[in-house]
Amino acid sequence: MSITGFAHKGRGVGVRDHQLILPSVVCSTHVSRKIANEVGALTFAHQNGCGIIGIDVPGVDNFFIELANHPNVQSVLVVSLGCETIQGPELLPKINRELSRLLVIQESGGASGTYEAGVDQAKQLRDNFKSAPAVIEKLVVGLDLSRSVENLSSLKAALTEAGLELVIEDQLGVSEHNLAKLMSKNAQIILSFADDNQPPSGFPLIPVINIASASPLHLALAAEFDLPSTATAQEIIELITAVGNGQKTKSEVSGIGEIVAPRSVRSV
Amino acid sequence: MSLTGYERGDGRWGFRNHVLILPLHQILSSSAREIEAKSEGAVAVSHDWSQVIEKDHERIIHSLAGNATNPNLYATVLLRLGTPIEDEVIARAKKYGNTKLIEVSLTEAKSIENLTQAGIQRANELLKEAKAQQRVSAPLSAIILGLECGGSDAYSGITANPALGVASDELVAQGATSILGETMEILGAEHLLAQRAITKEVGQQIIDVVARYEASINYEGIDIRGAQPSRGNIEGGLSTLEEKSLGAAKKAGNAQFTGVLEYAIAPTKPGLYFMDTPGHDIEQLTGFGAAGVNITVFTTGRGTPTGSAVMPTIKVATNSEMANAIPDIIDLNSGTIADGTQSLEENGKLIYQLILDVANGQLTKAELGGHHEFNLSRLYGSSL
Repeated sequence: MSITGFAHKGRGVGVRDHQLILPSVVCSTHVSRKIANEVGALTFAHQNGCGIIGIDVPGVDNFFIELANHPNVQSVLVVSLGCETIQGPELLPKINRELSRLLVIQESGGASGTYEAGVDQAKQLRDNFKSAPAVIEKLVVGLDLSRSVENLSSLKAALTEAGLELVIEDQLGVSEHNLAKLMSKNAQIILSFADDNQPPSGFPLIPVINIASASPLHLALAAEFDLPSTATAQEIIELITAVGNGQKTKSEVSGIGEIVAPRSVRSV
Repeated sequence: MSLTGYERGDGRWGFRNHVLILPLHQILSSSAREIEAKSEGAVAVSHDWSQVIEKDHERIIHSLAGNATNPNLYATVLLRLGTPIEDEVIARAKKYGNTKLIEVSLTEAKSIENLTQAGIQRANELLKEAKAQQRVSAPLSAIILGLECGGSDAYSGITANPALGVASDELVAQGATSILGETMEILGAEHLLAQRAITKEVGQQIIDVVARYEASINYEGIDIRGAQPSRGNIEGGLSTLEEKSLGAAKKAGNAQFTGVLEYAIAPTKPGLYFMDTPGHDIEQLTGFGAAGVNITVFTTGRGTPTGSAVMPTIKVATNSEMANAIPDIIDLNSGTIADGTQSLEENGKLIYQLILDVANGQLTKAELGGHHEFNLSRLYGSSL
């Protein structure tokens, strides 16, 4: 398998060259999206960063750090409000220092001032630091086993045989928690086996290849799955190679998939 | 002055005539955002719910169904997969209000692209109908006011919050409804609020809800009085949670409390209420939206840009320095009270006037900025 990705200083080699506009709190998600839409970067909505307590504080903090340091990320602009629990100025030093910047809404002339400064900074980060192409020796592929998969051991053997490094999450049910954990394990591409009663999924920074089951819901949504339930290991490997070299997955085209940060304690 | 709005035929009034795009599964959130961007004025929310039956099921179903039928909505386009759990949300929404509900299903559309296109088309048809509706004269009792504060500072309790209390008292006296939320932010002041309850039972409910809240946090092994005020509050000059609470409660003025509401539950008659909500600004806004609040005043010391898809949200600054630094976020400055250039009553009257102006159609800064934050509140294990 030959895959050429992007060398990201301090983050490793990724199969995508994404710029991430990272809102450190729900209050900055809208400004982050406006900036991302203007410059063609990625961002995500979430409901965290403030009013959180206990283990959720380090949990959410670590999650943001892992997103920002993911190998598919070229650069990061953290957008903070200023008075939240997860403080932007404290988050920034904990993420990769290469190509990471911070804006604080309350210190940057509000939402409009932050938008203008954010567009400017994101463009600089993108235009002044072109990622060089780099061969990926060992592609890390995540397996989201949200349903039981037939012939799993032979699939895993075939993927390993093809030179892939596998990371696996197998909590049954919805895919979102498995996807988040696979991101933490630096999966560059994810093979998602959605639960029979759940639709295909997606994750903003990572190409997700959705493989259908033969369930009624999956058959009805066949157009949004990359491969049918009958896909062979060879077909899966071929698609991984194509996606690794830049072909977009269905979920990348449609943009589906909200990021779900780990939470276990109520907001105060 | 006169008030105008949209009569909904279920006893409620709207001050906006929005078409809401509401996804019923998180993977439909991106489609909802795209429909908002490409339609001629629809508003959308997004969330992270995957239709899993969890401990917070009832709270989530209620939040979705309540927001889908907020009186400020002409119609809601529900984006769905075609699952039974969605039927449950829709059936509940039909019980809550008269809002026109239009379903667009992914299993029928077959692809996200088709779903989005169908959503844009339906939204534009509904927007045309909504624009053809005329505002009519409305009584002051049409107002269901939400009282919120976020990013509080040392000025909150002496400027914006008591000034908002003046406006709330005036509206309640004229037959409107006003709802104070944020249980954490009355913790330490609950005995004072209980004394203002209309009956002994309502007073006890206020005490009980606060005790329940504190126990739900202690359940997690956390002393809330140590975790609050937040770091932002401390930097803003607040010393203890009790100080924060005494200031936060001033938003509710001096009126009697008519009743206590569970999270996101609509009041059934006019008056001043306390609702058990998290202090988390967006979870509170979502709860207000589900309860049929049709206008919210949000006081802020540090300055926060957030708003709601279903309710105009008026931002009132507690201090002039912040109000001048971020004018694109602030609708009205109560820092003038601390500056000595306005009395509390004068500033309170300005808030009252602005509530009416915004109800009559004047856009808030949050609306102009397109802020539609939304957040499904969960209690996780601590659902006491």
